[in-house]
Amino acid sequence: MEERMRKYKRRKSILRRLSESPKAQKVETVMLPVAFGILVVALWQGKILHRLFHTDTFVLPVPTKIFGIMGGITDKVIGNTIDTLLVAGIGLLLGSIIGYLVAVIASFLPNMGKGGLTIVGAFASIPIAALAPVMNNWTKDVSTEASFRSMISKILVVLLIAAANMGLNAYRGLTELKPYALDLMATYAASKRRIFVKLQLPNSLPYVFIALKVSVPASIMTAIVSEYFAEYITGIGRQIRENIVLAQYSIAWVYITVACMIGIVSYALLMVIQSLVLKRYR
Amino acid sequence: MKKRNVRRWLALFGAAVMAVSLLGGCGSSSSTDDKGNKSSQEQGALSDKEIIEKAAKDGKIGNWGLGNEYEVLALLGKYGLPTDYLSQDFTMDGFDDNSVELASAMTYNELGLVKNDYDGGYGYGDSVKYIDMNDEGVAMMEDNIFCTKKFAKENPQTVAAFLYASLKGWEDAVKDPKAAADIVFKAGSSVSPDHQKYMADEVAKLVTTDVNGKQVSDIGNMDDDAMQQTLDIAKKYVTLDDKSAQKKLQSTGLDDIRDKQYLEAAKASDGSFKPEKKSVSIQLKWLPQAQFMGYYVAAAKGYYDEVGLKVKIVPGGGDIAETTAVNNGTVDFGVTWETNLASADAGGMDLLEVAQIYQRSGLVLVYKPENFEK
Repeated sequence: MEERMRKYKRRKSILRRLSESPKAQKVETVMLPVAFGILVVALWQGKILHRLFHTDTFVLPVPTKIFGIMGGITDKVIGNTIDTLLVAGIGLLLGSIIGYLVAVIASFLPNMGKGGLTIVGAFASIPIAALAPVMNNWTKDVSTEASFRSMISKILVVLLIAAANMGLNAYRGLTELKPYALDLMATYAASKRRIFVKLQLPNSLPYVFIALKVSVPASIMTAIVSEYFAEYITGIGRQIRENIVLAQYSIAWVYITVACMIGIVSYALLMVIQSLVLKRYR
Repeated sequence: MKKRNVRRWLALFGAAVMAVSLLGGCGSSSSTDDKGNKSSQEQGALSDKEIIEKAAKDGKIGNWGLGNEYEVLALLGKYGLPTDYLSQDFTMDGFDDNSVELASAMTYNELGLVKNDYDGGYGYGDSVKYIDMNDEGVAMMEDNIFCTKKFAKENPQTVAAFLYASLKGWEDAVKDPKAAADIVFKAGSSVSPDHQKYMADEVAKLVTTDVNGKQVSDIGNMDDDAMQQTLDIAKKYVTLDDKSAQKKLQSTGLDDIRDKQYLEAAKASDGSFKPEKKSVSIQLKWLPQAQFMGYYVAAAKGYYDEVGLKVKIVPGGGDIAETTAVNNGTVDFGVTWETNLASADAGGMDLLEVAQIYQRSGLVLVYKPENFEK
């Protein structure tokens, strides 16, 4: 009996056992992308990537050079990163709150709400390149301090994009309820407030995260693009643009790398928050 | 029934509030424009230095950035002022509404728009004044002709032929700027015919006068003193964040960024060339306008055909990096400013200036005197 068991165990190869164990699978989902990333960086550093894309180390500097330069201008990079993060963060926060409030109002007033959300949706489709200069002119009277009014105008652009995103998604979450859920609440004689707190609010939470998954990267991108047009010269996007036009590609790549890292870190953060919040509600 | 009425009134009220606030917003920003235009008097005038200091202190100096800012940085550096400036867009609205009090302007473009009242102009006339970079001693050499060192080495006849025909075009253009403006306008201009004529006149001045205001008859000449001054200022006031590039810029000499042999070959030639490459292109620094009239005149009058070249003029604009376009071989020739070329070479490019079209700086800082009274 024991011998048979041993034989049975032996028949399973290590690879097979690995692919069946859930722990190994979890490791795999992390390891594969990481391995791919390392491969790309290795190809990049080995200049094989350059041969593939018919480019040179001037337009696409190798990673060691990028990080070497980054180490030399840390203060400047941090300053610009903070400016971009402030714009993206404040815009995202305010925009998401406003978007959610609009969705709540829309869900209580379905007649007006649907029309209002259509307008919000229309806002979301205005290109940033068109919105940013308009906001620049609009905020000219906000302050005599150019750095401040310029920041407000950038925040407004991010805010609009984030609000539109959140409004549309949250409205779906507030209104597309499980079948008969409202009828059930009616049989409990629940008040509108009760229905909102107990049914609509929890139901909308996954949709809030759907919206955030889009608007977190979008707000960073919007902040970066609106810096192109801003009156006051600061931020990651502005540095990328200036340095590319001035043919200082290695500096531009420092900021491109930072922009990528912000994107990855903020997305990972969002995933962690999502799993924490949704776990509590389920 | 009642509820619906209330809702309707609320909606109407909301719409009315929005409309009023929108209109109010528009009105308040434009009303600041027309005060005090005529009140400017000489008695309270500040000196140029005081004006620059005041504008720098208030943070109201403007420039477009993107490689156009070096002379302004040099000027601020010269007076020991912080080198922050506001980003100007490609209109003069910021100057108009006083958010930029000391605004960058090219004599041939923005200054004309500020002064003149033709279509697109702001009509300030002579009520505005300006500070000239040439007078301040921080002039840097602007529009030139460049290609890569490799291209020049492999196609010396093409480069000489291109220079020969282009300079012929420029000579015609500065002799008769009006006709040149017409040619540019027909070739696909980005601005109105009136402004094109103004621009042609002003560009002709930059091509035929040097930094000291002396006449230049030798079009395209790469004057050692002026180019060295540009390079010296660049070394002093331009800082590249990449340390190795910064080091390279500091050790750059004139011979690293320009070569006179092609210009000399063109000047000595009788007009017959054996170009190695017959079909070439030139990348402009900006949109098609009289700033580049020489090339358009040469093309329209068939000067390029005469030397055996087929030339394609590629307009620039906004974020076109002419140095990159030439360096990666998208185009053969380009128009840029000497400082941009020097810093691009310091960053690792392989560019070479072969002719200097503009002999003096066309950059001025324009201001309204009433903003700078004692």
